[in-house]
Amino acid sequence: MAEQKVELFARRLDRGVQQAVHSNSAAGTEKRYTVLGKDYSAPDDLRRLAGQIRQHAIEHLDTYLEQAEQSLKRQGAHVHYAVTAEDACRAVSDILQKAGAKKVVKSKSMISEEIHLNDHLGSVGIESVETDLGEYIIQIDGDHPSHIVKPIIHKNRRDIAKSFEREGLGDYNDDPETITRRARVFMRDKYLQADAGITGANFVSAETGRLVLVTNEGNSRFCLAAPKIHIALVGIEKVIPSDAELAVLLNLLGRSATGQQLTVYTEFINGPARTDRPSGPQEMHVIFVDNQRSQILASDCREILRCIRCGACLNVCPVYRQASGHAYRSVYPGPVGAVLSPLLAGKNFKQLADLPKASSLCGACNEVCPVDIPIPDLLLKLRNRGHEEHAPSPGTPPMGAFAKLASSPMLWRFAMKSNKVMNLVPLEKLPLPYLQPWLKTRTLPEWRGGEFRSWMKDRRKK
Amino acid sequence: MSTARDQIFSSVRAALAPLPERTARPVFSKDVAEPHWLATEADSLTLFQKRAEATGTKCFTDMESCAAWLRSQGVRTVYIPAPLTRLAALCSEFCEVTSNYTRARVNEIDAAFTPAAGAIAESGSIILSDESTPDRLAALAPWHHIALVSRAEIHRTIADALAAMPDDPNLIWVTGPSKTADVEGILIQGVHGPGAQACLIV
Repeated sequence: MAEQKVELFARRLDRGVQQAVHSNSAAGTEKRYTVLGKDYSAPDDLRRLAGQIRQHAIEHLDTYLEQAEQSLKRQGAHVHYAVTAEDACRAVSDILQKAGAKKVVKSKSMISEEIHLNDHLGSVGIESVETDLGEYIIQIDGDHPSHIVKPIIHKNRRDIAKSFEREGLGDYNDDPETITRRARVFMRDKYLQADAGITGANFVSAETGRLVLVTNEGNSRFCLAAPKIHIALVGIEKVIPSDAELAVLLNLLGRSATGQQLTVYTEFINGPARTDRPSGPQEMHVIFVDNQRSQILASDCREILRCIRCGACLNVCPVYRQASGHAYRSVYPGPVGAVLSPLLAGKNFKQLADLPKASSLCGACNEVCPVDIPIPDLLLKLRNRGHEEHAPSPGTPPMGAFAKLASSPMLWRFAMKSNKVMNLVPLEKLPLPYLQPWLKTRTLPEWRGGEFRSWMKDRRKK
Repeated sequence: MSTARDQIFSSVRAALAPLPERTARPVFSKDVAEPHWLATEADSLTLFQKRAEATGTKCFTDMESCAAWLRSQGVRTVYIPAPLTRLAALCSEFCEVTSNYTRARVNEIDAAFTPAAGAIAESGSIILSDESTPDRLAALAPWHHIALVSRAEIHRTIADALAAMPDDPNLIWVTGPSKTADVEGILIQGVHGPGAQACLIV
């Protein structure tokens, strides 16, 4: 029988990779739990508040997006809009080509992964270098991130040392500190030579037009310190009402993502350089990208747009821990990806309709979510949509016989009683492939079918 | 305006129009996300020092010990903005002092002092702005960065700092040295920014 694609991937995954993903994810969950517990007596109240803030923001996106645009323009930034991923890529290259820019440094941005920006820039002859250490390694390996926050969670130091050797960054050396120093030296020249810096944004405050960026390495700061043009790619859902909401959101983002009260660098960008503040980029462009987000807003899964990309749901997910990020065949892995990726696929929904099934619906993702997204509910809605659209469903046991049985009271009554014969059958010998793995670690209780019905009948008589 | 803009706004409006009601903007008090231990903490200066040290930022309260630390670190070239003459005199005893930060010397200057725009006690963060630190690279590229923090400008909480953000193209909260855990989750300091972050409280 066909297996679920995620399950199949997990089964074939290298044991070393699986172990690394599992232990690193588990450590992330532990750190998050410790720091939230140490600092807050009721962290769940705070998560619910953050959820309301984000839900309010996306349900008033028409107002806040317009307000953000006005605020950004007031600060001297150029504002652009892109309906599709292709439009967004073109918007970036148009700005760069107009300015004659040939070299670009990039800080980590999930939306740039989503629209495959580097491939596009390469195709029009613009060099784009990822500056986040993990993302740089992904780039030189032609690989894809397997975690939202920890992109190379699936690689070990030996893999990285080999890649660095291949790229001419020095002889083979797998000491993490040496790897980091070599990247530091290499990136220095890239920053100083770059014509433009590209970043994402964690939040955009509608009231002030402030773009908020959080990083630990300092690379986004460098992308805004040396080059003369700044381009920010921002999903339209990133807008929040004002700076005041950041007190809640920033306090949850760092703790949920990496167990830090705040990440090392929390940067607030408010327009390009001014005559009395000449240090930063002379030009600032903000590109608001839709790429299916307005369609998600129209769907019954709009809560997923609350997401602030902390990765806590990946770390805690028993399926992610076993399968690793690449099993999800899309930019966003884990529970959030199982909801977001099929939705972002738009017309190609069916191709990723199996992802919402790669979940035991244990609910841990919802319990750790800093913006309280009801991920299990959304997974169920998407399973239903997949069923309605007749998406292929490998791994689902045939339920036709059960459906017949369960829709006829007479047959059901008969089956309940007669199934007692099952107590005499050695189940482990039945040739049912989907039953056998289950039975390996479990035993069925004795069949007592029909007892509830008799009890109900007797009760009515009384 | 562009058609892309119109298209996006009309899709967003169409998506929101059928909602029977929209989630109201939550009202919350400014201190809602304060850690519960904050209330029992001492004055903001002591708290700032404690939190800064916890995140890996060294704190100095006098120029002499700060200069001695730089000397012990083997610093060779230090950038000190012009008005800080006493500090410059102390450092010139053991290294080259320059008051001119240029791109040509980005990799030579291995320590830099820049004035901070403030600090946050709750998180031990240093606040830099383009006004306080006119050259962004100076506070970022050297291995050692020492922010000059004025006692009077220490905000008690993150919420206080957010409420008092000055009008500046760039504000950055620096909470410890630049770090990564990308390689096997092992913590390494000094990725792109300073590997040694410090502050001199004045």
